[in-house]
Amino acid sequence: MATPQAIITGNRDGRRTLIVVFQRGGADGLALVPPIEDDHYYRARPRLGIKKDVAVRLDDRFGLHPNLRPLEAAWKDGDLAIVHACGSEDPTRSHFEAQDLMEHGGLVAGGWLGRFLRTRPALSGALACVAVGKALPECLLGAPSVTVMQSLNDFALGGKSVGVRNQLERLYAMESGQLGTAARDTFDAIRRIDAMRSEKYVPAYGATYATDEFSTGLQQLAQLIKADVGLEAASIDLDGWDSHFTQETLLGSLTTRLATGLASFRQDLGERMKTVTIVVMTEFGRTVQENSAFGTDHGRGGAMFVLGGGVKGGRFHGEWRGLGQLEPRGVGSSYEDLPVLNNYRNVLAPVLVRHGGRTEDFAKVFPDFPLAPLPLYG
Amino acid sequence: MKRRAFMAVTGAAAALAGCGKSPKQIRNDFRRALGKPTAADLDGPFTAPASATIDDASHVLARLTFGPRPGDYARVARLGAKLFIEEQLAPEKIGDRLCERVIRHEFGSLADPESTIFPRGKDENDPLQMLFPALKDRGARVGDLYEWKDKVLLSDLTRATILRAVLSERQLYEVMVQFWSDHFNIDPSKGDCKWLKAADDRDVIRAHALGNFREMLRASAVSPAMLWYLDGRANRRSKPEDKPNENYARELMELHTLGVHGGYTQQDVMEVARCLTGWTVREKKKFFKGRVEFKKYAHDDGPKRVLGVDIPAGFGAGDLDRVLEIVASHPSTATYIAWKLCRRFIADEPPQEAIDATARAFTESKGDIRTTLRALFATSEFWAPETRSAKFKRPFHFVVSAIRATNAETDASKQLIEFLQRMGHAPFRYPTPDGYPEEATHWKSTLLWRWNFAGALMDNKINGTRVSRAELVRKVGMDELVATLLGRLPSEDERAAFREAGDLAVVIASPAFQRC
Repeated sequence: MATPQAIITGNRDGRRTLIVVFQRGGADGLALVPPIEDDHYYRARPRLGIKKDVAVRLDDRFGLHPNLRPLEAAWKDGDLAIVHACGSEDPTRSHFEAQDLMEHGGLVAGGWLGRFLRTRPALSGALACVAVGKALPECLLGAPSVTVMQSLNDFALGGKSVGVRNQLERLYAMESGQLGTAARDTFDAIRRIDAMRSEKYVPAYGATYATDEFSTGLQQLAQLIKADVGLEAASIDLDGWDSHFTQETLLGSLTTRLATGLASFRQDLGERMKTVTIVVMTEFGRTVQENSAFGTDHGRGGAMFVLGGGVKGGRFHGEWRGLGQLEPRGVGSSYEDLPVLNNYRNVLAPVLVRHGGRTEDFAKVFPDFPLAPLPLYG
Repeated sequence: MKRRAFMAVTGAAAALAGCGKSPKQIRNDFRRALGKPTAADLDGPFTAPASATIDDASHVLARLTFGPRPGDYARVARLGAKLFIEEQLAPEKIGDRLCERVIRHEFGSLADPESTIFPRGKDENDPLQMLFPALKDRGARVGDLYEWKDKVLLSDLTRATILRAVLSERQLYEVMVQFWSDHFNIDPSKGDCKWLKAADDRDVIRAHALGNFREMLRASAVSPAMLWYLDGRANRRSKPEDKPNENYARELMELHTLGVHGGYTQQDVMEVARCLTGWTVREKKKFFKGRVEFKKYAHDDGPKRVLGVDIPAGFGAGDLDRVLEIVASHPSTATYIAWKLCRRFIADEPPQEAIDATARAFTESKGDIRTTLRALFATSEFWAPETRSAKFKRPFHFVVSAIRATNAETDASKQLIEFLQRMGHAPFRYPTPDGYPEEATHWKSTLLWRWNFAGALMDNKINGTRVSRAELVRKVGMDELVATLLGRLPSEDERAAFREAGDLAVVIASPAFQRC
């Protein structure tokens, strides 16, 4: 395990950034990552199954939804790992209950990411943690210094003139010790954000971002990372995965947004992706069988993605048993669930280690759970 | 209609109306109900600190309150710092009508705890009380809390906490409420704590904040919210193979009493957990939900040994009081509580002499909090020059002190809470049982948002919070205002910087105002 200092690339402050993308609504892992060699899959989904010839083949078992093709490069470069049949122990199939349990990390106060950030040495950055959107997601409850960001303007020094700022800087220049250092760091961050806001952002390496909210949010996160403001954790949601009806249409647009957003971000960051991890997760997957409304209903296991530096990508992690022997969803039900063979915490734990987490703190981050972290990193 | 149903219906309607109201409407409602604004009248005298260093009056205002309002310095200087301490140690003798009425008017869910903690006579200005005399003591039953939406309760608790800190004349009491809220921290986002924390705030923290530590500890041990938060409700031994849940037992010793190095062992944790088996809370879906019960069949009634003291078999529910007596009277508890109090009131790394004196008072008074604080405030370390203005205000203190110093009116609504959230210090949002940290190191990354808050406050850009800047400067005077904010005269450098900036926000954002 490399120390944070050892892998510094372009990131001047040596910090690593963890971005959590939550697919709200229960994303269908079997549409995102179809088991294209499993006949049971096509029998369960005669109309909705992703055909082998349109899927983007990943290995001898799975493909990607065709709209996720922009992620193929990351897979081939070994930067994208996938865990299938992944989810939580929550059996309710209620969006609210399942999201809550997953974001809290169990029946426990605060969010797993918020508690994780609290276990860390005091954050030094002025902008260590950002939630893109209108509200604080549950996973960040209890985080120190978290900012709900709707635009980069939220970070300006409240419309104050340069004169006022100069006087403030003059006052803090007289401070020695912790307060003086913290003030100097903060003024640096403000200057970098101002510089960033004053000119039109040009993504690097020829990347272009789409104009939807998800891509815009990711672009702003990329800007913050490049501005070295000390961003350590961020969350961003992509909503609307609850595909009970006409799933193909619904997922068509969502998968495109997901893949183009992530691919643009990765391209834009270039080498700096080595210091960034993006985790894509959802509260549950969906029924194996399609329903009569060309949709799927609330299920259990889904797919989880880990994209970023150091991950042993280009492969699947965790357990997979195929769709041959499934548990019926209930007595008399003709629906079956993909079982949760891989608990989401076992995916998050190694990611947190990568981001400086200490295993002795995991009892606080994921209490009352026997962790068996997946070997996502070499 | 039964009283409870009546309260629930009217309360729910008020809550809904509250949700839909703009901050301006809420503030206007306050004014209508109270007949005047919630900020104090600026009628002076505004004698300001006139010393280049922090004098006694400024020092006690900085440490015992959430910051002085214009006029407070003059009053405390006249009264004398020591008498001010005595005054603040007797909150029941302090009239606090404005604050109490705001809380009663706006937060039906909180069931008016002041009326029982600080009993008062008839309030002829309270129409509800005059119509229904029984409402004078309308402490709600715990189960009634479930009739509220959890989000309404959290918002009410948060706003009431901020408003009390801003408005209350019982400032030391509010400071101690915050201290114990951290000490016995419960994050409402876990399970039924969403509803039950409101009762804990009322019946544990507020009821005993300046009372007796042992009584507070007892109340906390059987607080339904605490039984939820630290899993005491699941600590049972119905079958011989049941393992006790030791979560509460551990935190009871590590955080609430002895402290982590207080001299208990893993064996003690197990034994305490055994003593507390059987105490549980009725769940949300049942009748009498939220009620705390002792289930004899789930209690391990064998003999136990806690911190060297034998507890014979067969005491049943009585084990609880035996255990609390043992841990509360342990010498480590006195030292640990004294250390925490000294850290809050003296310095992040408090001098040992002050801790010893405070611990002695705690032990001799059997946990009387007023006696303990009186001893702390009498130490020479509390008054030492190097103590003064050397603590870094936590964000809540910073925000409230800015509102108080500028005589701002506030309804403590969403945008103000968002500022606190950005600084990581909104009330009732701390996930783990150790409570918000006290030391400066944890808060140094909040400067950007302190500066932004200072600007937003002075430019009236926070919805629901309003500073009458021109009136403030006209009535108080610019120099007096600056001296009140700093607690002393500005230095030459400060004076020059403030003059050139020409903006009061810079004073609030300045290093000196971050300290207390």
